[in-house]
Amino acid sequence: MRKAVVFLLMASMLAISPALILGQSRTDILIKNATVMTAVKGTLANTDILISNGKIAKVGKNLAAPAGAQVIDASGKYVTPGIIDCHSHSMLDAINEGTYSVTSMTRTRDVLNVTDIAIYRALAGGVTAANLLHGSANSIGGQNTVVKFKWGHPVEDFPIPDAPPGIKFAMGENVKRSTSFGPPGGTVRYPRTRMGVIETMRDAFLRARDYKKSWDDYKAGKIKVQPRKDLELEPLVEVLEGKRLIHAHGYRSDEHLNLLLLADEFGFRVGTLQHGLEAYKIAPEIAKRGTGVSIFTDFWGYKLEAYDAIPYDAYILWKNGVNVSINSDDDERMRRLNLDAAKVEKYGGVPEEEALKMITLNPAKQLGIDKRTGSIEVGKDADLVIWNGHPFSVYSRVETTMVEGEILFDRAKDAKMQQDMAKEREALEKLDVNKAPGSGGTQPKIPSERRRGDRDDAEFGDGGNQ
Amino acid sequence: MNSKLFLLAFGAVSLFLGSSANAQTYAITNAKIVTVSGPTIEKGTVVIRNGLIDAVGANVAAPADAKVLDGSGLTVYPGFIDAYTNVGMPAAAAPPQRGPGGQQATPPPASKSNYPDGLRPEDQAEDELKGGDSQFDTIRNAGFTTAATTGRTGIFNGQSAVIDLAGDSVSGLIVRSPFAQNISFNTIGGQYPASLLGTFSALRQMFYDAQRLQAIQKQYAANPKGIVRPEADRSLEALYPAINREMPVVFKANSEREIVRALDFIKEFNLNGMIAGGEEAWKQAARLKAMNVPVLLSLNFPKRTASASPEADPDSLETLRLRAETPKGPGRLAAAGVKFAFESDNVRSINDFFLNAGKAVEGGLNKDAAVRAMTLGSAELLGVADRLGSLDAGKIANVVVVKGDLFGKDKYVTHVFVDGKYFAQKEPPKKEDPTGKGGGGGAANVASVSGTYAITIDIPGQPMAATWTFNQQGSTFNGTMVSQMGTTQITGGKVTAEGFSFAASVNYGGSMIDIAVSGTVKGNEISGTIDSPQGAVPFYGTKNP
Repeated sequence: MRKAVVFLLMASMLAISPALILGQSRTDILIKNATVMTAVKGTLANTDILISNGKIAKVGKNLAAPAGAQVIDASGKYVTPGIIDCHSHSMLDAINEGTYSVTSMTRTRDVLNVTDIAIYRALAGGVTAANLLHGSANSIGGQNTVVKFKWGHPVEDFPIPDAPPGIKFAMGENVKRSTSFGPPGGTVRYPRTRMGVIETMRDAFLRARDYKKSWDDYKAGKIKVQPRKDLELEPLVEVLEGKRLIHAHGYRSDEHLNLLLLADEFGFRVGTLQHGLEAYKIAPEIAKRGTGVSIFTDFWGYKLEAYDAIPYDAYILWKNGVNVSINSDDDERMRRLNLDAAKVEKYGGVPEEEALKMITLNPAKQLGIDKRTGSIEVGKDADLVIWNGHPFSVYSRVETTMVEGEILFDRAKDAKMQQDMAKEREALEKLDVNKAPGSGGTQPKIPSERRRGDRDDAEFGDGGNQ
Repeated sequence: MNSKLFLLAFGAVSLFLGSSANAQTYAITNAKIVTVSGPTIEKGTVVIRNGLIDAVGANVAAPADAKVLDGSGLTVYPGFIDAYTNVGMPAAAAPPQRGPGGQQATPPPASKSNYPDGLRPEDQAEDELKGGDSQFDTIRNAGFTTAATTGRTGIFNGQSAVIDLAGDSVSGLIVRSPFAQNISFNTIGGQYPASLLGTFSALRQMFYDAQRLQAIQKQYAANPKGIVRPEADRSLEALYPAINREMPVVFKANSEREIVRALDFIKEFNLNGMIAGGEEAWKQAARLKAMNVPVLLSLNFPKRTASASPEADPDSLETLRLRAETPKGPGRLAAAGVKFAFESDNVRSINDFFLNAGKAVEGGLNKDAAVRAMTLGSAELLGVADRLGSLDAGKIANVVVVKGDLFGKDKYVTHVFVDGKYFAQKEPPKKEDPTGKGGGGGAANVASVSGTYAITIDIPGQPMAATWTFNQQGSTFNGTMVSQMGTTQITGGKVTAEGFSFAASVNYGGSMIDIAVSGTVKGNEISGTIDSPQGAVPFYGTKNP
């Protein structure tokens, strides 16, 4: 009995901080003798990487291990930069505020759930950072959060502090169909057409411009009374000032082009076109404006506007000089983004390093975090993945994933942890509180935030794309 | 059985005295007195006069005009305080019914607020309280004399009121109102905010708007010339005490991440914040301490209630851990120096409050600290420690006399005084007397539940009507439940002195789920809780004549 108590105590510590168990916090790490796919300076055979203080300190051959460093023998193994997913809804307790067509006042930062197991699974698939977006029910959705997947850390450690802020925009069927929201007998939401969607965006920017002017007038002493702080319009002012990146969900090239023209009209650059299955049709127009495109490789046909897709989308965009990334928009697909990158080598023949960039350095550039992550270069954060084979092979698995030099997934430790958890479960199930009794007490609540009703794919049955 | 006779006689006296009962002077003598504010007196006297505590001490003599109660073998406590509850508040309103053609059959009540129902910080519990609520009897019989109560719904749940659990008029109940602004991270169906995302942005916008309106109203009051008259807004104005730190803001938050979100919000607007619920508060103990945010800590500890169906997934490790860890939370909070007071969170059976407090003691909480967290500690957090929470001369005579261990199964509350008014106590439930010499016990102590009841099952957002029939035989009963989900037979129901319970399998959307039902019957009123794998829902109703 006493043993069980001690075990429970240990288990409760586990619950408090997986990082304590898994983390090699800030210890120097030397990865020896790996095939290093840098994503920027080619693939280096038999190469070592020294990680110090969370950063990549040295990349070279026959590096000496500093005293106390953890040495990982990576002979026969591959190292890549951590994968970056430019479109994710993981670890969000709510995804859509579907009531208004403009919900720029909402912030995904408010609803992060650091206990979402999808984080750990993403690490097991080599993903170290993600763009957490609001859903696509609105012309203008909520504010994004760009995070590192620091599993086991408190929530404030997740957002990347120097990542430029972003915001979700959406066009097309999801937005139009969201007009079916609302109480029975109530009014349906405007807009209901594609032209209404672009008008809603233009109207919002005009309001934001007026709003900014009212504050400018107040600051210049032209009006006496302080204007209202408007949480809906402030992020749009930031867009107009080039301080906030738009990540625009859309399928049809005419709609995405319309948004680019709207941005020309107001004088800002669109950050990324999300999904963009028809983006190949307007590749030069996109390239000219420096806008990125974040796509699925070969996932389409789940709704009418997703029919005109081709697997050569990435190749054509790349050929035209567009920054392309491949995203998941899905907890499951997120764990296999390496294979989605491999496919663009097959379709059109994007070179290996360019394909790797599409899940590492390119999304880092799209999110404005490429100074610190996305490639294996001295001085960058040590967001690294060790694979037991070539990352573009279906037979390869992630062995180790680290974020800023902290090992947050390790396949061997995971096996051990699963055994420990099975023992813990056995001990816990014997407690009275966990036995099915005749009566008494309240069932712990089923977390309402995971209701599928929050998710676009459940609402629209459109195959999980948001 | 002298004391029993005495109680019976005394009950008659208090009945006879009727509403002027608190004019009576009482002296509880020879009792152990837990003053909470000072050392416990092993044997002494408490004098109650004119609704106040007149004297407390080892050497206090019973006044000549006092009714003397022999407290030998009994312990006197300050009346217990439930720091966060919905007692006395109406049940959640049913959603508006729609007639043919989508027209509303019952229009929502008119309001002069610019904000939808649920986003109105001006709502006050006091305005909806029901005097003489039947729930008062139940919890008062368990030893509670005071509660902080607030509404059940909305994002703003209504400003809470601290009430004494006696009195048929609302004005007679109020000790302090309003006490605090109450916020839950809920949504509003069918309109903004309809998601947790929107809840935060809507709250944030309202707090900013309140800050601004207060500033420009001041500016206008100082010199209106050349300024457009600021519009009055009763909702935003109701937030002024909160943003000025003059009124606490209580956030309902149980999981660690809800608590973190509440703390972030408290920090963002520099609020005088509190957490209610606090199931996982111990995980944030350091930050709660650093930010000086107290916790109104629920004693509704989680435990498994229903047998899982064979197809169900096993409980998650997180859930198993939560149930094991929660009773250790109070001790951990105390060790970290976080202030807390216990609250019932509408525990299924009010006796669980004390039993779970006992589990908190087993889990590492000092016993005196546990008593304090339901008396003086609560009074301090509710801002009424000058009047309540301890046995000191001059304070309100909320006094409870207990036989047996307060946290034990055999605890029996022998006397309750609220505002100096004595409330007759039911006899303790009799145990089966193996010698057969108990005389009179047995069946006489079993409630009577036979009858047909019109029931409302209070499923959030979609209350369901049902008809239940119970046929009681001794301490068991059979019967039926009829609702839109079909007819279900009840077999093997149990009746005790406290109420009834039964288990059944019902067809819910095509699959059978196990439910556990328990409740009480008081006169023609029936109420209780249905537990299912989907969670617990309350029910209530009346007996058909």
